Amino acid sequence: MTAGIISIKNVSKFYGEVLGVNRVTVDIEPGLTGLVGPNGSGKSTLMHLLCGLLRPTRGSISVVGVPQDQPEELFRLVGYCTQYDSFPNGSTGYGFLSHTLALHGLDGADADRRAWEVLERVGLTEAARRRIAGYSKGMRQRIKLAQAICHDPRVLILDEPLNGLDPMGRAEMIDLFKELADAGRHVIVSSHILHEVDLISDGVIMIHGGSVVAEGSIRDVRGEITAQPLQVLVRCDRPHAIAARAFEFAHVVEAQIVDEATGVLLRTTDAGAFFPELGRIILDSGVEVETVTPADESVHAVYDYLIGDGGGGP
Amino acid sequence: MSGSHGWPLWRRQITVLAKQEIGRSLFSKRSLAVYLLAAMPITLALLRALFLPESQRAHAAHTTTEFAEVYHFFILRFIVFFSTAMLFVKLFRGEILERSLHYHLLAPVRREILTVGKYLGGLLASAAILGATVALTIALFYLPHGSGGMAHLTSASGLGEVFAYLVTTVLACAAYGALFLLAGLYFKNPMIPAVLFLGWELLTPFLPGFLKLLSVVHYLGSLEPVPISQGPFALMAQPVPGWLAVLALIAISAGLLALGAWKTRGLEITYSTE
Repeated sequence: MTAGIISIKNVSKFYGEVLGVNRVTVDIEPGLTGLVGPNGSGKSTLMHLLCGLLRPTRGSISVVGVPQDQPEELFRLVGYCTQYDSFPNGSTGYGFLSHTLALHGLDGADADRRAWEVLERVGLTEAARRRIAGYSKGMRQRIKLAQAICHDPRVLILDEPLNGLDPMGRAEMIDLFKELADAGRHVIVSSHILHEVDLISDGVIMIHGGSVVAEGSIRDVRGEITAQPLQVLVRCDRPHAIAARAFEFAHVVEAQIVDEATGVLLRTTDAGAFFPELGRIILDSGVEVETVTPADESVHAVYDYLIGDGGGGP
Repeated sequence: MSGSHGWPLWRRQITVLAKQEIGRSLFSKRSLAVYLLAAMPITLALLRALFLPESQRAHAAHTTTEFAEVYHFFILRFIVFFSTAMLFVKLFRGEILERSLHYHLLAPVRREILTVGKYLGGLLASAAILGATVALTIALFYLPHGSGGMAHLTSASGLGEVFAYLVTTVLACAAYGALFLLAGLYFKNPMIPAVLFLGWELLTPFLPGFLKLLSVVHYLGSLEPVPISQGPFALMAQPVPGWLAVLALIAISAGLLALGAWKTRGLEITYSTE
């Protein structure tokens, strides 16, 4: 068991005859990690396994050195915001949080103080005394998040945490995730909305049909997909000039003028050679370049290449 | 985050969990049916107090036997049984059905502590409701007998009887409660095993001695202060001494609770299959 990382070793989970996840082996470092996959791919199963809500049929899991069958230790370290949109009957936001904190061993005054701090952090101070049943979807999402972070966990596991939040709320929550990750915590965020993960993750774990199909930083994963040419979008004043010169190189297999001749989309099979050569073309031709951006180093594109399915984009 | 560990933490967690269950059992919608059940013997006793013929009001002698029969056949076998079924089955099953059990499983609480905390909450709530029911019913039974009835009730023997009924009720809550907590953990529809167990309990008087030992009501019956007839077809058995009955009921409760704790240790959250 390794302290400091989340270690999943050869884990399989079957629900009777049905496969949940299959032979998953992953080490997750601190930082913001996106768990990506379409609905039913096994994301929630993997998250449940990490938190001991499910037991693996095979394999072992340790979360920063703590096995999942030690709840007293594990849940001091781990906060989990599940996908279930359900709460104890009759709970108010404040009551829900203070009960959780009391179970963490905080006495009345400490639990009270901490509950209000967390409620303020997720923007629910005014609604704290209202019943959760009367909350909007976004507010329910926030109170779940509050429950997950109220004990200041080292590992935060968030299953579709941005569902139901308005754009402002999403931005606030993303900032919060980044802040927690920057402080050296593990923040694992699942989503089937790929651009969402693209925005926030340092690394991704891509899961499909219960198996991990790729893991690492999005760029590294993209770099390993050699069968698909890399797409680079160059926005400039004379895209035709760049397109003409680009075909001098054998590894450039396609050049397409896009967006009413404001840019050119180049496809290359050799990313290593391409960028220095593109620099030379730009200098030689005197083209004024606005931006050069990889067009398919997004989770969505990578996922599309790996699975042949975008996974349900926005 | 917290400085407390070990027993101080467990005690705090048990208290928090028990308080939550007491609140739910006494003040939520789920308690309405229990209050209705608990009101039945009180209503019966009240009607008896109002309509008892004048000729029977002078002497309280029959009342002792009459209450003993009402207690055994109605309160213990029906009211206590179904009230504890409703309260304890929902300790876990209720949270599974409302899809909120995972919040407790995500807290740093040993599953055994979770089981004990919930059970104690259910036990205290059921003992409070049903103990009050029994006390009030006894009082209403003796009320029509005026000062004579009250004198009996407040005498040493009368108070002893009341105490014995209350102890029997609390032990019934403990044993049936543990059984129904377990049923709520194992069965999606725990009322089916509950009804089957009720059948077994009803058959107890007609079972041979060694099979009587496998029922709860056999031990509870041994604690009742006034012996009652089980009918002409009942098979007589050596009564269990009071101390042994208490120990047996505590052992049954503890054993069932231990099984419940063992089950919760392996509990997984798969709401979609529930």
